[in-house]
Amino acid sequence: MKPAVFDYSAPESIGEALDLLAEHGSGAKVLAGGQSLVPMLNFRLARPAHLIDVNGVGSLSYISANGALRIGAMTRLTALGESGDVAGAHPVIPAAVAQIGHRAIRNRGTIGGSLAHNDPAAELPAVLMALDAEVTARSADGERVIGMQDLIEDRLFDTTLDDTELLTEIRIPAAAGSSFGFREFARRHGDFALAGVAAVITTDGSTITQAALGAFGGTHATRLPTAEAALVGAEAGDAAFAAAGAGAAADFPATSDVHGTAEYRSHLINVLTVRALKDAAGQAGGGNG
Amino acid sequence: MTTTQENRWIGVSAPRREDAPLIRGRGRYIADIEPAGTVHMAILRSPYAHARINGIDTAAAEALDGVHCVLTAADLEGIGDFPTIWRLPGQKECTTPAFAPGKARYVGEPVAAVVADSRYLAEDALDLLDVDYEILDHVVDVEAALADGAPVINEDMGDNTIIEYTFPGINALGVAGDIDGAFEEADEIVSGRFKVGRYSGVALETRGHVAEWDDLRQTLTLHSGSQVASLLRTELAAALGIPETSVRILTPNIGGAFGNQWDRYPEDILVSLASMKLCRPVKWIEDRREALQATVHGREQLQEWQLAANSDGTVLGLKGRVLSDQGAHLHSVGIGPAWVTGAAAVNQYKIANYHCDVVGVATNKTPNSTFRGFGGPEAMFGIERMMDKTARRLGIDPAELRRRNMIQADEFPYFSPGGAVYDSGNYPAALEKALEAVEYDKVREEQQSLRDQGVYRGIGIASYIHVSGFGPSAILGILDYYTGGYEGSTVKIDPHGRATLYTGMIPMGQGTETTLAQVAADHLEIDIANVRVVWGDTDQTPYTGFGSAGSRSNVAAVAVIKAIEEIKAKAVRIGAGLLEADPDDVAYADGRISVKGAEEMRSLSLADVAQQAYWAHKLPEGDQPTLEATYVYDPANFTTACGTHVAVVDVDIDTGKIDWVKYVVVDDAGTIINPLLVEGQIHGALSNGLGGAMLEEFVYDEESGQLLSSTLMDYLVPSFTDLPDFEIHHLVTPSPHTEGGFKGMGEAGCFPAAGALANAVTDALSHLGVEADQTPVTPSRLWSLIDQAGG
Amino acid sequence: MAENMSVVINVNGAGREVSVEPRKTLADAIREDLGLTGTHLGCEHGVCGACTILLDGEVVRSCLMLAVQADGAEITTIEGIADGDALHPMQSAFSEYHGLQCGFCTPGMILAGIDVVSRNPDPSPQEIREEMGGNICRCTGYQKIVESVQAAAAVMSAEGGSA
Repeated sequence: MKPAVFDYSAPESIGEALDLLAEHGSGAKVLAGGQSLVPMLNFRLARPAHLIDVNGVGSLSYISANGALRIGAMTRLTALGESGDVAGAHPVIPAAVAQIGHRAIRNRGTIGGSLAHNDPAAELPAVLMALDAEVTARSADGERVIGMQDLIEDRLFDTTLDDTELLTEIRIPAAAGSSFGFREFARRHGDFALAGVAAVITTDGSTITQAALGAFGGTHATRLPTAEAALVGAEAGDAAFAAAGAGAAADFPATSDVHGTAEYRSHLINVLTVRALKDAAGQAGGGNG
Repeated sequence: MTTTQENRWIGVSAPRREDAPLIRGRGRYIADIEPAGTVHMAILRSPYAHARINGIDTAAAEALDGVHCVLTAADLEGIGDFPTIWRLPGQKECTTPAFAPGKARYVGEPVAAVVADSRYLAEDALDLLDVDYEILDHVVDVEAALADGAPVINEDMGDNTIIEYTFPGINALGVAGDIDGAFEEADEIVSGRFKVGRYSGVALETRGHVAEWDDLRQTLTLHSGSQVASLLRTELAAALGIPETSVRILTPNIGGAFGNQWDRYPEDILVSLASMKLCRPVKWIEDRREALQATVHGREQLQEWQLAANSDGTVLGLKGRVLSDQGAHLHSVGIGPAWVTGAAAVNQYKIANYHCDVVGVATNKTPNSTFRGFGGPEAMFGIERMMDKTARRLGIDPAELRRRNMIQADEFPYFSPGGAVYDSGNYPAALEKALEAVEYDKVREEQQSLRDQGVYRGIGIASYIHVSGFGPSAILGILDYYTGGYEGSTVKIDPHGRATLYTGMIPMGQGTETTLAQVAADHLEIDIANVRVVWGDTDQTPYTGFGSAGSRSNVAAVAVIKAIEEIKAKAVRIGAGLLEADPDDVAYADGRISVKGAEEMRSLSLADVAQQAYWAHKLPEGDQPTLEATYVYDPANFTTACGTHVAVVDVDIDTGKIDWVKYVVVDDAGTIINPLLVEGQIHGALSNGLGGAMLEEFVYDEESGQLLSSTLMDYLVPSFTDLPDFEIHHLVTPSPHTEGGFKGMGEAGCFPAAGALANAVTDALSHLGVEADQTPVTPSRLWSLIDQAGG
Repeated sequence: MAENMSVVINVNGAGREVSVEPRKTLADAIREDLGLTGTHLGCEHGVCGACTILLDGEVVRSCLMLAVQADGAEITTIEGIADGDALHPMQSAFSEYHGLQCGFCTPGMILAGIDVVSRNPDPSPQEIREEMGGNICRCTGYQKIVESVQAAAAVMSAEGGSA
């Protein structure tokens, strides 16, 4: 389990990184936190000809809370989870980050790396979908802003980024007055989840006015439109939550693997959705199971 | 250094002498050994479950700069296979070859090897090997492998049945019980079908070797993490066709073995052969993917049991059929673990009529062989689930059903119809102590009120016996187990009175070095700091019949005691001469040789006597110079450790998640040498047992024959939050058959674990009638049972 | 083969320069090029924690970094935590409380334990279990590791500081 040969560059600016991407294109791979890519290199499941390590690009690491929350793609998960600005604007994010791997993984792993790698069982793509986040992708030719849905579509371990594009920033609109629930079920603490859901809802006191649910652990990260539809306009309570749970199970792209059957995962997303919504209604935290 | 008052060291939690380098990162594990000029081996393994190998093109790999050699089956001329050393009557012949013999029979079977300047480069070369595989039909399910028309994995066997072995249930009088009569007479017949999952030790350190062929002296030194260096030396020399006298095995620190390192493996031959070819050190370190594919798996069985009982709870008979999924071929111990399952299944209960058929079956999977517990945990799972099923059927509390059927303390030695003679124990006392510790009646009461609140709490009892200290060689002979059951020990006292102890035991984390030093210091009645333990060098240490295992310290300890008895007797003879006393009037006590009744006046230290033994100026007639002794101890009987575990869990019926409430252990392993280390062994064995009960499983894809659990993200070992705090209590029933009263204890913790967990889960869901009969009890499996039961 | 690159790393307080292929993992460079074999490889895919080191004071998995990425960094390995002959309290506690058996996970465990206590001077058993979940031990069943970390935390607090 040793990586195959590759060439290595460590640019120090975004411009340099973009030039390298333009030069090497599909033969290149961007190395962010490396917590998913390096295992793939070690297993020789990934064999890039050229590795572009952007850890030295200091300008990709920041958290800015003036207006919309803006997060540099190379922000480490530990920094993301511990940021007061992030917790103040979107407390669902630290709740989710706490469930990602373990401390050593979070110390290296980055928000941009997680999105670009797009593991279907990863928390952040689904959470950021629920928060209606957008990302900035830059290439030597320019930059574009992509909504999370359009970034992920129904892909896994892949995104709609071009080979020459670098994900540079994540922007999350304010969601004042909302509350959240975050639930996932993993076989062990810190493992990728069999199913999980982030729920962000707004009520006018009793009626739900807005609901955004992002789910992970299926074949790809996804919003749960049927569940959301069951919630908006309904009274916040057991009946609406149960309907949303059933809707989530219908929406969820469940799949079978060594850890559980698709049937089980569909059931789990139902249970977790109900629990997350109860947490949101009660403004409680979240957690495993 | 802890000291004891009279230099009594048995029963003391002496600190481990193993620790000092390990906590500083100065341990020396196999991967840390790199003699000058070392080159590195990587192995190409079959990506297919079953495929004929029509040819291997090695040209491109050989042409790669930095590659020293490529080995394939064509290089094995004159090289032998490793034998299966347990060859039961009727067992088809089967060996372990260095490379897949013309066809690969499981994913991970070695096909070729490359030696290069670095491991990185060796893996580059593997990419350049071009193998012409002809893919064959495969079978990875044990029942499918027995069906007509199943692909035959080993053609010379004719079919996939390797052996059918019957335990006829012979009783103490030497006659078989009346199993049919018992089933006719019984009020109730209870049936169970159990799937015991495939898992293994998965030590944190993977396997590895460094082989050094010395062309000048024509000797091979193998640095190896094998648990059984003596047997490896014997078998490796035979396979390589070189004199055993030319082979030296050196053992460094071992990063966990758990029985898996007891076996001989293809790589033992390959790395040695490469070193002999290249005349330079060759190193092979298994990577994790290889470790999951190619280090032996364990446990997997499909068991069917029927239990005959009267309505008062008396168990009249037990009969069963155990299908053991052996994988592609028999490994070092054959179907040994499954045989032990058949031998141990009657457990602590007086079951007069017993019959069990054990069938070894070949499948296209990694060989299933030695793993901590060795068939015992499988047996305990089956019988303890059967006891709970019977209790439920009869409407008797599961504790009470066990109570009514247990062998009583005054019934030893007990001749079990499984064939073992249980030496001693107090099974009912261990049960009662466990029930008391867990507050059984209180938990039962709470269970009811909690259920009304939607909390599903379950209590699971599992009792166990662990026949350990595999021993009398003559018995191993009767079982066609081609090794001895003895352990040897040499003790040398130097002229200053310090002791060096040479043992064939290999410490793998259990603290064997410390515990043997304790035994020696205790019996010599000297400070433990004055005892050195030498292990891990076959040029110095005694040949061991059976090799190191978690439950062998008891046998090795007796060899130490016996050698020390000889030394003390000699010291008394020499001392008597020096003290001008009759040897009958002289005794060894407190590390001194003294005239009885005149200890203050006429007394010599061990050093005084040792110095005289080395000067040898005036030795008693017949005594040789120096002060040393070797004793090879062949145990008189197996020892039987025993106890009861009680697990208390809560089950989330919406997710199938199991939460720990409590776990109580009552353990009886005879005299305890080091209480702290015993606790550590129980914890660790429980971690192995509960890992397989809840998380760990090698899963194969029926369609492709692929091993799906080939990373540690798919094969889940327990981590910190998956295990409870264990509450441990001891009973001490010394073994009457061994000096010192020790019983093997390093494995016992894993015996009842899966049974206790599954019984607790089943108990929690009794309102639904859910039965946890397959391990691991994963949330997905459990939820689907709950769902089917309408929960 | 890609050309070797020169990497300067401050290792356990001393500057070292090594020349490595870009593909070489930091774990392999620590073991082979720096000769510090106390950092162990248990899985090489970031699950087991045996290769845990401190990188600029933070725990990381050295199997999930390339050696070239550590250029200019400070790393601490198990060999660097004792003060000469004086063991770090975490090391002493592991021995005293039987927090190790085979010892293979121990270097990573000790560094992870030091990290936990540095962030939480008085961790509860449950906090220790949750925080250290990324380090696997196959021998101990964890209970005695938890006891070791708790005991070390008490000593470290009494000494008025962490590593």
